[in-house]
Amino acid sequence: MTSITGILGITFGAALLTFLLHHLVPKLRNIVAILAVGATGYIAWQMPIDSYMTHFTIGSFDIIWGNSEYSKLFALLISVLGFFALIYSHDFMAGKKRLGYYYMNFLIAIGSMYGIVYSQDLISLFFFWEIMTWSSFLLIIYCCKDSQQVGLKYFIFSAIGAYSILIALVLIYANLGSVTFIKVFAQFGSMSFEVQLSSVILLLIGFGVKSAIMPLHVWAPKSYAISPSPFTAVFSGALSKMGVFGIGIVLFKLASQGGYYIYVKEILAWIGGITALLATFYAVFQTDAKKLLAYSSVGQLGYIVVGLAIGTPLSIMAALFLAVLHAAFKGALFLATGAVYHRTGTTDMNEVSGLVRKMPYTFLTALMGIIAVSGVPPLGGFAGKWMLYQSLIESDHYFLVIVVFASSTAAFLYLYRYIFSLFLGQEEKEFEDVKEVSWLMRIPMLTLVIFTLVVGVAPGLLLEPISGAMGYLGVGATQFETTVIWNAWGNKIDMFTIMNSIGILFGIAFVFITVKGFKSGRYVTTKDIHTSGEVPTENENLTYAVDFYKPFERALGWVLKPSVDKFYNKIATNLEHAFDHLRYIYTGNGQTYAMYVVIFLVILIAFSELIFGVKL
Amino acid sequence: MNISPVHFIAVPLLAAFLIPIIGRFSKEFVKVIPGIVLLYLSYVAISLFPVALKTPIVEVLAGWKPPFGISLVYGPLAAYLTALITLMGFVIWVYSYKFIIREPIEKYYMLFMLLITGSTGIILTGDIFNMFVFLEITAIAAYSLTAFLRDKDGAEAAFKYLLIGSFASSFFLLAVMLLYASTGTLNLAEITSKIDSVAMSTRILILILFLVGLGIEAELFPLNGWAPDAYSQAPSPIGAIFGGIVVKAAIYALMRLVFLLFNFSEVFHFLLIMGIITMIVAEMSAMKQQQIKRMLAFSSIGQMGLVIIAFSVGTSDSVQAALFQMFNHAVIKALLFFAAGYLVFHSGSKKISALDGLGRDKPLTSFFFALGALAIIGLPPFAGFWSKLYILISVADAGLITAVVLVLIASVIEAVYYLRVVSRLYFNKESAQETEVRRTPLTGLLAMGVLALVIIVVGIYPDYIWNLLKPAAEELVNKAEYIRIALLK
Repeated sequence: MTSITGILGITFGAALLTFLLHHLVPKLRNIVAILAVGATGYIAWQMPIDSYMTHFTIGSFDIIWGNSEYSKLFALLISVLGFFALIYSHDFMAGKKRLGYYYMNFLIAIGSMYGIVYSQDLISLFFFWEIMTWSSFLLIIYCCKDSQQVGLKYFIFSAIGAYSILIALVLIYANLGSVTFIKVFAQFGSMSFEVQLSSVILLLIGFGVKSAIMPLHVWAPKSYAISPSPFTAVFSGALSKMGVFGIGIVLFKLASQGGYYIYVKEILAWIGGITALLATFYAVFQTDAKKLLAYSSVGQLGYIVVGLAIGTPLSIMAALFLAVLHAAFKGALFLATGAVYHRTGTTDMNEVSGLVRKMPYTFLTALMGIIAVSGVPPLGGFAGKWMLYQSLIESDHYFLVIVVFASSTAAFLYLYRYIFSLFLGQEEKEFEDVKEVSWLMRIPMLTLVIFTLVVGVAPGLLLEPISGAMGYLGVGATQFETTVIWNAWGNKIDMFTIMNSIGILFGIAFVFITVKGFKSGRYVTTKDIHTSGEVPTENENLTYAVDFYKPFERALGWVLKPSVDKFYNKIATNLEHAFDHLRYIYTGNGQTYAMYVVIFLVILIAFSELIFGVKL
Repeated sequence: MNISPVHFIAVPLLAAFLIPIIGRFSKEFVKVIPGIVLLYLSYVAISLFPVALKTPIVEVLAGWKPPFGISLVYGPLAAYLTALITLMGFVIWVYSYKFIIREPIEKYYMLFMLLITGSTGIILTGDIFNMFVFLEITAIAAYSLTAFLRDKDGAEAAFKYLLIGSFASSFFLLAVMLLYASTGTLNLAEITSKIDSVAMSTRILILILFLVGLGIEAELFPLNGWAPDAYSQAPSPIGAIFGGIVVKAAIYALMRLVFLLFNFSEVFHFLLIMGIITMIVAEMSAMKQQQIKRMLAFSSIGQMGLVIIAFSVGTSDSVQAALFQMFNHAVIKALLFFAAGYLVFHSGSKKISALDGLGRDKPLTSFFFALGALAIIGLPPFAGFWSKLYILISVADAGLITAVVLVLIASVIEAVYYLRVVSRLYFNKESAQETEVRRTPLTGLLAMGVLALVIIVVGIYPDYIWNLLKPAAEELVNKAEYIRIALLK
């Protein structure tokens, strides 16, 4: 049994097992799930690079599974994030209903993602892609209100994406007679221009839906918001990366073989940039923490797409670096938000506030998380964004760099809002008894942020496997060392120096603030003098988490008004109305049906020359 | 007694006659008889299958050699379809065992046996008039079963079915008469060898009559008005029979005749377009249905559209894919009807909106429904995935990318209405009042379990069935071979 079949066998086997154990030994269920993902992670880590590991045929299709550096990178990402999310689930999901269902679908989703990254042919890629879609759909509808509509929207978009991939698949199959990667990569350029271009576009649409690039992102915010938090971490961190995984392959293995490559790249880069900018604005105006993070994810994926689409070695490196990091920090943030939800029962930023003293570890996670997202040194986000800006400037994308930079700056707004609303500000009576979450939930969050810190200081640790993955994509990596990255003009950027300077700066600031705080600080109660003498009542809102960015919203609201989501909804309602009318073709009246038969016969006879080419 | 294809017709027919008589003595025994018969037939089907793959069996009745006597042609295609029908029949019987508890039980099983007789007869016979007789047997049994519950809706549905069905029979009979008048024979193979000498206009007229006649039974748009009512008003196992057996036989008849007698590209084009229209209209109509079984009925029509599309591409690959889709549809739609039957029973309402939160109270039945829904949309790793993939690839191979796109659009619509039901099932409704606990009987769960298992096994390992279908597809495409076999040359 080769390693890949082992991995798939273990995850899917464990999926069934957890479902059965749920009814027999519920305790074991969680452990089995964690162990399964841990074990597969270990196998993925140890697995040798072999692009032709498992091979068999189904019908006339060659099914090939193999491991490449590119697959390995994503497989490890899936397993690590999945592992931590499952550890976190143990306490987070405790006491909830239908846990067998939850764990089974969770493991199926993870298994299908493994399947996707190890697929070396389009058939198995599509096969696992669809499994991923329905298992994540079932997790979205696991709970909460609106789950039906949200789940359905997710599925419709996924189906449109998946079927785009499928059309490309049958197109390629009809032209090349095979859809194994070996053959497709080698001969893609030999197909006619139309087929090539349409396959590339269809595949990009397909993968673009999962990576939520605009205008295909509308499913994402709500789906992220209502799925259970541990799964949201995987959803945003790993599942959406499957889209990135696919886009990488399409761009560098297929599209690069045609003359349209440069245009496809350019358009995609701009779509990515606009996605990043608009999603950031949307994120700023969210009042729900998970929705905010969801839009933030969409934005971050926009950066990754920009990086991939620019297509220079440095930009690809930046994109893959950000892809891995995003999984870590957004995973940590979703878990932290989940922890807040776990203790307070809501993720509404207008309701929750002042948790910093009650949940210090969660606060620490969130703080580190937002620092990483914003790209401030010394956390990992800095190195990634640095490389991305450089590659943009180096490849003369000056407008794009402005767009990306603007969105990156605007990101500070929502990140501040996130941390302020949830953790800072006034302590509410309602949440007086809130306690920090258990260690089983803290460890996964903290590990993930520590990872971003380590990678921030020593990006080379992560760039090592990434350069391997880039080798698979056929792009040479740029130079790097463990703690040093080179910029486009050959200058060294030493993370240690940056780390040290930042450390010193923070130290000074810390001392300054503390000293100053001791001098002039005092404890502020709700009935403080700042209310101009009026005594505020208990329920009067004194935090300004509500309508946080009202002026900003007033200024920028018009940009976000023409929502593409509403447009889709309108189409959907109109179609439904049309279908509703259409179904009255079936009137339920036997006489009408008999009429149809007669009319059909008459038409066939009358127009037989037209239809069958023979006059009666 | 040697086993022979004749048993497929003779044994259930005999059983149908015996059931009312035995019913006078023992009701319980009546329920068992169809099971024994179908088990035996399944055994016959399976043991004859390899024989048919090697050398097709031609059974001559009453000692008259073809083309003069009536003959049964048991080639790979017939072997496949009879096996499908008898095995599905058996599973449906298992399900019916506890589901059909209303009197008159013996009539139900008698009609059920007649339905099996008729459907296998349509597939086996090599004689066109004989085919008409079997079509009538099937149709009459189907009308009566539609009205089995003897309520107002059932009677109305049955009446519509009867009304439209009588059109079908008369057109079919008219076509048979014209064929006989112009070729002088009723043997299908003989007709095939003589058809080229018939004037083109007569041939097309015959074709049109067949198209309308069989199109009604095969649920071709716009001739399928009877179907939604009949499916939804008949008892659930009957819905499964209609979708899994009756329609399959009708499509077989239509395709056999088209491939043998009207093998022109215009006909295939026409059928392709009709298939697409049938599929799209049905899926769109299914979207806003309020009743679950009506929704399933429209979905069945849509699936038949897909099968017709695949057939009318006309290549050996596409026919193979169509046959595979027929298999999958029979299994999956039966599972859906079975599950829907008990969901309706448990919720006490035919409405989809009454299904909220049933996933918690009835986990297994809901699970089976969800599985069936995922499978019929064509999601892996379930059976429906491979047949849809094969169909799409064969359609794309023929250069019909538009058809591929339309099939996939229909699939999206299909996904919407099925998943709407699934998400309702798993919707966490905090129901205040505990519903009366009714258990799904073991036989029902067993039947659904077997089908679910088949769906998953075929989904993971489709090769076995797929390879079995290859000779069947080749038999349908290759008409010279059929003539050679059927005429014992």
